[in-house]
Amino acid sequence: MPKKEKTSAAKNLSRVVGDAYMDLHARAADGAFVVWIAINVPAELFHGFNNVVYGVPESHAALNAAKGAGVIQCEKAERLGYSTDLCSYARIDIGSVYDGGKDSPTFGLPAPDLLVSNTNNCSLLVKWFDVHHRNMKVPHFIVDVPFCYQPQQEKDQQYIVRQFQDLIRTIESLSGQKFDYEKACDALNHTNEGIRHWKRFLEFAGHRPSGITAFDSFVQMAPFLVARGTPQFADHYKLLAEETACRVNQGIFPVPDERYRLFWDNIAPWHQLRDMSGRLAALGANIVGATYTSCIGTVEGSFDLFAYDGGDVLEYCARTQNCYMCPHGMKLRGASMQGVVKKLGIDGVVFASNRSCKPYSITQMDQQRRMAEDFRIPCVMIDVDHADARKYSKESTFTRLEALLEQIEARRAA
Amino acid sequence: MTEIEQQLRQLKKDGRKVLGCFPLYPPLELFYAMDITPVVLWGLRGAVRNTDESDRHLQPYACAITRHLTEFILSGHSRFFDGLFMYNACDTLRNLPEIIDAGLSERNLSLPLVNVHIPMTLPVHTDASGYFQNEIRQLIADLERLFNVQFSRDQFVHAVETVRHLRNLIRTAEKRVTEGRLSFLAFSENLHKCGFLPLEDQVRTLEELLEDMPDKGEPGASDGSCPGVILSGILPPPASVITYIEAAGLRVKGNDIASLGRSYASMPETRADPGAYFLDFYYQHFPCPTLLYTGDRRVTSLIDLVERTRAAGVIFVGEKYCEYEYFEFPLLSEKMREKGIKTLEIEIAAEDDEQTSAHDARIAAFAELLKNPG
Ligand code: SF4
Ligand code: SF4
Repeated sequence: MPKKEKTSAAKNLSRVVGDAYMDLHARAADGAFVVWIAINVPAELFHGFNNVVYGVPESHAALNAAKGAGVIQCEKAERLGYSTDLCSYARIDIGSVYDGGKDSPTFGLPAPDLLVSNTNNCSLLVKWFDVHHRNMKVPHFIVDVPFCYQPQQEKDQQYIVRQFQDLIRTIESLSGQKFDYEKACDALNHTNEGIRHWKRFLEFAGHRPSGITAFDSFVQMAPFLVARGTPQFADHYKLLAEETACRVNQGIFPVPDERYRLFWDNIAPWHQLRDMSGRLAALGANIVGATYTSCIGTVEGSFDLFAYDGGDVLEYCARTQNCYMCPHGMKLRGASMQGVVKKLGIDGVVFASNRSCKPYSITQMDQQRRMAEDFRIPCVMIDVDHADARKYSKESTFTRLEALLEQIEARRAA
Repeated sequence: MTEIEQQLRQLKKDGRKVLGCFPLYPPLELFYAMDITPVVLWGLRGAVRNTDESDRHLQPYACAITRHLTEFILSGHSRFFDGLFMYNACDTLRNLPEIIDAGLSERNLSLPLVNVHIPMTLPVHTDASGYFQNEIRQLIADLERLFNVQFSRDQFVHAVETVRHLRNLIRTAEKRVTEGRLSFLAFSENLHKCGFLPLEDQVRTLEELLEDMPDKGEPGASDGSCPGVILSGILPPPASVITYIEAAGLRVKGNDIASLGRSYASMPETRADPGAYFLDFYYQHFPCPTLLYTGDRRVTSLIDLVERTRAAGVIFVGEKYCEYEYFEFPLLSEKMREKGIKTLEIEIAAEDDEQTSAHDARIAAFAELLKNPG
């Protein structure tokens, strides 16, 4: 089979991610103030400082998993006594840090001066960062984001704003640098611009056949984690959206004979991206979208873009803190999922039950029932750990996925 | 009918307004003061036949506490409650209200929910006292509306003082355990029973327990022959495991258990303002992995407990799938080792029944190690 030509966006992605990690290491070596952050701490704030850089342990863990180093790193943590029931991102990160970044595709992350965790996606992340805090003797700042069952309340937004102000003050006092609001504002504008293009890119899932697969979008998330707030971020997503538009116009589709349009609920199965997308494509199935990628740039309860309107940076950042799937409740999740399933003409939903991520998975049984019974969408539950390949069975997964496709066929025939 | 069911039945028969509280540390004094009877829904393993109902809603990798709690409410016991209370204790629990609501609505049932958000920020970084006090004010307003009751400062002070008296009685009972005059099993079973009684009956139960055991008396066994251990975890281990620990000649000298010691250790100063009182209550709370801001005090408080009680070992009772606890075990074990304290880690899962004997051999070996440390 001839090797698939890499798209310009794919090539640029490698460049953006590679540059971001190289820049992080180089600036840290030159004395920049290094912050390790939870995935959804607004990175734009760090651009308000002259010389503050950030690393994201979750994203580093995902990269390890995607590059085949997930299990090796997990095992290192397990040898230190960390239970196999702990989130695999945490095990990868703890294993990697303990071993000085060995086996990591990016040689780990530079040592931090400050850890910033939050209770947003999960409060377990605070426990994970506490492990580093105690071992490395580095200060740990906790951003507390109240979980919401209804759209975020004003009192909670203001509570988060105050914490961001405290975070800025903490960095100022630890790093000796002054925060420049205008710079943070510029960074947020770059992010906003990038997210607008990201949303355009995701829209191509609505095309028949779909212009994208969720697997493409999983891979293309990387700049969100390493390059937010930069012009490169905005440029990358512009390129991605424009190239995808071009390909759709030229009739180039990832699954040209698409017969089943599926939707994915949970974190990406980083160790299975290539295999799973290939096998599904061979069955005429395409996972065209995912909750994981759709929630970026939104607020809880809808996958529509929630754009930055030039107002207060901290207020905007605080308002979007509940947008990810884990920091809001089942009803809000259901609302956004139903909307997108309808909009994209989804035939079936794949609920990926993920032992490592209980916050993402805990409500899935009710979500699945609701989708199947109230909205008459065929659904399946598969077991897949997002980063620990040992907790995944290819055969049983595909038996279930094939059963889902049969169910869709049966419904069509009826 | 289980004992818990009988107790709940009695509460309803007595016309009480019963509030089912999700673990771990609800603001109990406030509920008592407002003439509401709170019951904390943990330790329900013996009160459910299986987890069939909960298994329809929860993934099998939810912890046993959550599965049993869900099963209990969905299997016909919701009728004993007038409402549910929760706060942001953990990632699993924060999703539970909607899961339980989904289960109840399938049966055309519902239970009102009241909740508060306990700030998890570090006080050294963020002053969340205003936010928290507003949460408590809102909680009071919700309770007044839902239960048709009125908050009174006098009643609050009275409730605080009664709870303080109760916690002192519990500490006295705990002392009897360390002296070998009360088994840890009897101690923890009595406290569990108290959890489903009105406040005044809890006091009476504890007073009666202590009456049978005057202050001065013969200790059951000398310290030399019974090495002391600390139990640490979310719940005490099942009765069969406690029995085995005690039969192996180990004496429970103290506990760092969420449903026991971590709950009754904290006694903030009496205040008439519930916002100020609970601010102290949560911020000065005995460290628990779920109270994220207590992280820095966790190791020292456990070491302090071990040193104060002169325990020779710590048994970590892991609640399967409770990652909060499991993140800390490696560091805690290491720190104990550095101090020459032996540790044993056992794991209790939802599937384990009360009669589990899987840990017997390890406990016996651990007891031997403590008795013959050389
Ligand atoms: S448990 Fe889930 S939300 Fe938390 S760090 Fe792990 S993957 Fe992320
Ligand atoms: S045992 Fe742990 S996971 Fe379970 S309810 Fe308690 S804190 Fe949450």
